[in-house]
Amino acid sequence: MSKERTVEIVPEAGLHARPAALFVEAVNDHEAEVEAGPPDGDLVPARSMIAVTSLGVGQGDELRLVADGPDAGSVLDELERILTTPEDELEA
Amino acid sequence: MASRTLRGTGATPRSGLGTVVWYDPEITLPDAGESVDVDAERDRFADAVETARAELERERDATAERVGEDEAAIFDAHIQFLKDPTIKDAVEASIEDGRPAALAVDDAFGGHIEQFEGMEGRMAERADDLRDVRDRLLRLLTGGERVDLADLPEGSVVLAERLTPSDTAQLDPETVAGFATVTGGRTSHAAIFARSLALPAVVGLGEALNDVEKGTEVVVDGDAGELLVDPDEAEREAARADDGADVVEESVATSDGREIEVAANVGRPEELEPAAARGADGVGLYRTEFLFLDRQSPPEEDEQYEAVRDALDTFPEGRVVVRTLDIGGDKRIPYLNLPDEENPFLGERGIRRSLDPDSDLFATQLRALLRAAADGAGELDVMFPLVATVDELEAAIAAVDDAEADLDERGVDYERPSLGVMVETPSAVFMADEFAKRVDFLSIGTNDLTQYVMAADRENERVGHLHDPTHPGVVRAIARTVEQAHEHDAWVGMCGEMAGNPDVTELLVGLGLDELSMSAVTIPDVKVAVSETEHSAARERAESALRVATRSELHETIQ
Repeated sequence: MSKERTVEIVPEAGLHARPAALFVEAVNDHEAEVEAGPPDGDLVPARSMIAVTSLGVGQGDELRLVADGPDAGSVLDELERILTTPEDELEA
Repeated sequence: MASRTLRGTGATPRSGLGTVVWYDPEITLPDAGESVDVDAERDRFADAVETARAELERERDATAERVGEDEAAIFDAHIQFLKDPTIKDAVEASIEDGRPAALAVDDAFGGHIEQFEGMEGRMAERADDLRDVRDRLLRLLTGGERVDLADLPEGSVVLAERLTPSDTAQLDPETVAGFATVTGGRTSHAAIFARSLALPAVVGLGEALNDVEKGTEVVVDGDAGELLVDPDEAEREAARADDGADVVEESVATSDGREIEVAANVGRPEELEPAAARGADGVGLYRTEFLFLDRQSPPEEDEQYEAVRDALDTFPEGRVVVRTLDIGGDKRIPYLNLPDEENPFLGERGIRRSLDPDSDLFATQLRALLRAAADGAGELDVMFPLVATVDELEAAIAAVDDAEADLDERGVDYERPSLGVMVETPSAVFMADEFAKRVDFLSIGTNDLTQYVMAADRENERVGHLHDPTHPGVVRAIARTVEQAHEHDAWVGMCGEMAGNPDVTELLVGLGLDELSMSAVTIPDVKVAVSETEHSAARERAESALRVATRSELHETIQ
């Protein structure tokens, strides 16, 4: 049973460089398949830095996350934290 | 062996003799037809990824320690690109099909790089990241060497396709004899950096540079803009003996008595003392960006006050012209939330940001400047960058008035500095008379002015021939600015790279410039050039130069 949620992006750089790296790293650290994309568009694999960066998600955009697997709930919590924390407060 | 000479653009009027070290070695990809051992290639790829990851982690940690966490974050992004399953799957499938690992890597990245290249702003930067990661893997797979720029043997001459400002910053002028690059122009960042380090450098040598092999002895002649490969004994001797002109400590005048102030462009406090030691009469451009870089939040008023006061104390007899914060364009500061613009050089930069949205930062900086003006030994002048309209100038002056009112209210000592405008936009040239009525001085920034007058990007070597301040179009803009300034009793200086070129000193004196400000390294040469110039003859020559139609005619006139 997959879980999903939609999050509004807070970091100024959007999903780029550091936030994107932390995002992908968090996906890879959990036991769950995660896909991400615009609320009304196609989803891409969230464990691919290239795919995530290609989404071109900027500050204020919404991102839909769909997770499937034992860690689905916790990975969504962690991703939401990354996506809603200003970049200068993000802990690596 | 007879020497041969490659021609490029000199960045520094210095020569250096040394042995070639290549940075970013050329990667030779294997032939597609080569038969490969699939298992071995798969292992080689896995090993290369592992080694690349270890390198990236090391570089991330070193950068975090030396520069800062923000700058180090880019390596985290590279690590994630390196681990990308899309790449890994594509490379492994290609190896299964019998492709050598290096070709498989080249293919797997290629499409993604092209895809990002076609995009705008931040997305296009990702193409550079992917290229870096790909080249790192290819280097490991093809046995290319890796050069540590911060740890080169004494007497190295670094050759590279291009050097970024951070690459250049790692070069130690005490051990490195110079550098030469395939791309780049006189005002590229690497060239400007070379001048501030007084490092012999020639840029824009073109593809021919790629034929110069590692270990070859070369002379980097930054004065002539040449690289001598396998120099003969006389050429070596000349390079060893080249220390430039002797330092002239006192201020200089032309042979018929017109005084010209020769000042230094300074970007960091550490450059103040060396500038004084090279005979600078003062500072003609003190860039304040250093106060704002490499940190998480803007500097406090007191910190800025102390930095400016120290600069004034270094030149008790002279003046220090401080430029207010000039960001935007290619200069970015993470915490200032600069917009992504399609055309940042024509966007929100310089005074445009200081008036709004950074008006609070501007107010803080002005208060610090006014306080320093009262307490520092030398004279403080303040100038505003990229002014295009009288409204902007009046708003900037009003901000100075507000800063005075704030300090009055706080009961703090201050002094109003002389105010000036940087002439960098064509509009500022046309409006020079109106500006000169309202301020004490104008300072012509020829790098940006040339870029905007000629509509030629200074980093773009395809239009490098247009980015030259000795085009008649730019020279006439300079002449008009000087004339209008003097008509309204404002003094006028120049703080672009052109000011530090002794070959055009006579022209600039003839055009009527009162002050020339440059990288400290060229000060002794320009001081000598000024004292060898006769003002009346220079004026006649400048008048002829204003009547020519082409750059080559202009060069003939001023020779």
